[in-house]
Amino acid sequence: MEDIKAYIESGVLELYVLRNLTDAERREVEDMCLKFPELNTELSQIENCLLQYSNVYSVEPPIASRDEFLSSMNFEVQAEPPQETAIVKLPSRDKSIRFYKFAFAASVTLLLISLFTIVNLNKELKESKNEIIALQSSNQKYASQVNYIGKELQDNKKFLQVYQNPEEYKLVTLKGTPKAPEASMKVAFNNGKQEVLIDVSSLNLPATDANHQYQLWALVDGKPIDLGVFDYTSGQPGLTQMKSIGKAQAFAVTLEKKGGSKTPTLTEMVVMGGV
Amino acid sequence: MRKDNIKIAEHELIEGIRRKDRMAAEALYDMYSAAIFGVIIRVVQNQELAEDLLQDTFVKAWNSFTSYDESKGKLFTWISNIARNSSIDKLRSKDYRNHSNIDKIENNVYAIDEQQFVEINSDSMGVRELVEKLKPQDKIILDLIYFKGYTHVEVSDELHLPLGTVKTRLRCAINTLKSFFN
Repeated sequence: MEDIKAYIESGVLELYVLRNLTDAERREVEDMCLKFPELNTELSQIENCLLQYSNVYSVEPPIASRDEFLSSMNFEVQAEPPQETAIVKLPSRDKSIRFYKFAFAASVTLLLISLFTIVNLNKELKESKNEIIALQSSNQKYASQVNYIGKELQDNKKFLQVYQNPEEYKLVTLKGTPKAPEASMKVAFNNGKQEVLIDVSSLNLPATDANHQYQLWALVDGKPIDLGVFDYTSGQPGLTQMKSIGKAQAFAVTLEKKGGSKTPTLTEMVVMGGV
Repeated sequence: MRKDNIKIAEHELIEGIRRKDRMAAEALYDMYSAAIFGVIIRVVQNQELAEDLLQDTFVKAWNSFTSYDESKGKLFTWISNIARNSSIDKLRSKDYRNHSNIDKIENNVYAIDEQQFVEINSDSMGVRELVEKLKPQDKIILDLIYFKGYTHVEVSDELHLPLGTVKTRLRCAINTLKSFFN
C-alpha cells in the first residue's frame, strides 16, 4: 500500500490524464491500474478535479461559434431512402401508364379518322367513275355525231360537185313507166370517171316489201347491164355510188327479189330514162 | 449564458456522438465549449486564434470519435487533451511564431488572469475561495502542466525547482482541488 501511495504522489497519474507521457510510460500506468484497481478511483478523481478547474476558468465562446460548428458537421441522413425511392417510382410508372393511355386514345382516333376518310374517298371515287362513264358515252355520241356530220358534209360536197359540173356529170331523169306512172328518180353519170350515182333525195318510187329490192340497169347497145341493187327510203339525202360503167344509152330500174337478178324482169320495170 | 443549452448524461452523449446525431453535437458543444475555450485561450492568449482552435477541436473530436476509448478516461479529458495539444502545436509552429512576438510562456501564465478577454466564470461558486485556497506556488505548476502541457522535468527547468518539489506541489494542488470539489 505504501508503494501505491508513493506511486500516486509521484504525479504520474496527472501526467497520464493530461496525456503528457511517452507510450511506454502510459502502458506502465495502465498495467498498474489493472494490478491496483484503486488507482482507477484516483485517476477518475484527478479527471474530475481538472474538469472542475476548467469549469472555474471557463470562457464563453462567441455565439456564432456554435452555429459555425454545427453547420460544418455531417449528420447522418435521417430520411428513409427506400420510401423515397418508392415515392419516386410511383409517379414515373403512373406517367408511363398515362402515356400509353394517351397513345391508345390517339391511335383509336387516328383509326376512326382514317376509316371515315377511306369511306368518303371511296364514295367520291365511285361518283367520279360514273361521271367518267357518262362523259365517255357523251363523248362517243359527239364523236359519232361528228362522224355523221362529216359524212353528210362529204355527201353534200359530192352533191355540189355533181350538180355544179354539168359537163362532167350528166344528170339523167328516169320517168315512171305505165306500171308506176308517178315514179321518178335522178341518176348522175360521169363517163370519164365511169361513175354512176343515184340521187337518193330525188327517189320517188313505190315502197318495197322486205323480200324485194330495186335494181339499176344500164342499156348499152340494146343490152341491159347490172349496176347493183339499192334500198328505197324516202327523205334521205346524198348520193349512192353504183357499179362502174363507161358508156350507156339509158338507165332503168326494175323491182327484183332481194339480192338482185342476172337479167331484168321487164314486167317489173318502174322507171326509165335515156341519156 | 444561453438558457436553452443542452445537457445530458455523459454515456448518452457518447452514444449520440457515435450515432452522429445532431442533438449530440449540440449537447457536446453546449456542455464543454466554455471549459475548452477557457483552456485554449489560456494557452494561446489570442481571442481570434482561440476561436479557430475551438472549431478545430470540436470538428476533430467529432470526426475522429472512433479513437475515443471511454475505458481510459472521461470524454472531457479526451477533448481537453485535443484542445491543449492543438493549441500548443499551433504556438510552437513556425507559422505562428513568425507572426507574433509573444512573451515567454511562463510569463503568460502569470499574465493570463489579467487579460481583459479572460472572464472567470462568475457563475461557479467560490472561485475566489478556490483561488485563495490554491497556493500560488502550487497553482503555477498546475497551470504550466495543465494549460501548457509541460512535463515535470520541463517545469523543473523553467522554474529552477528540484523535480521532487515540482511533484509535491502539483500533488498538493490536486489534493486541494479534490478536497474543494468532492
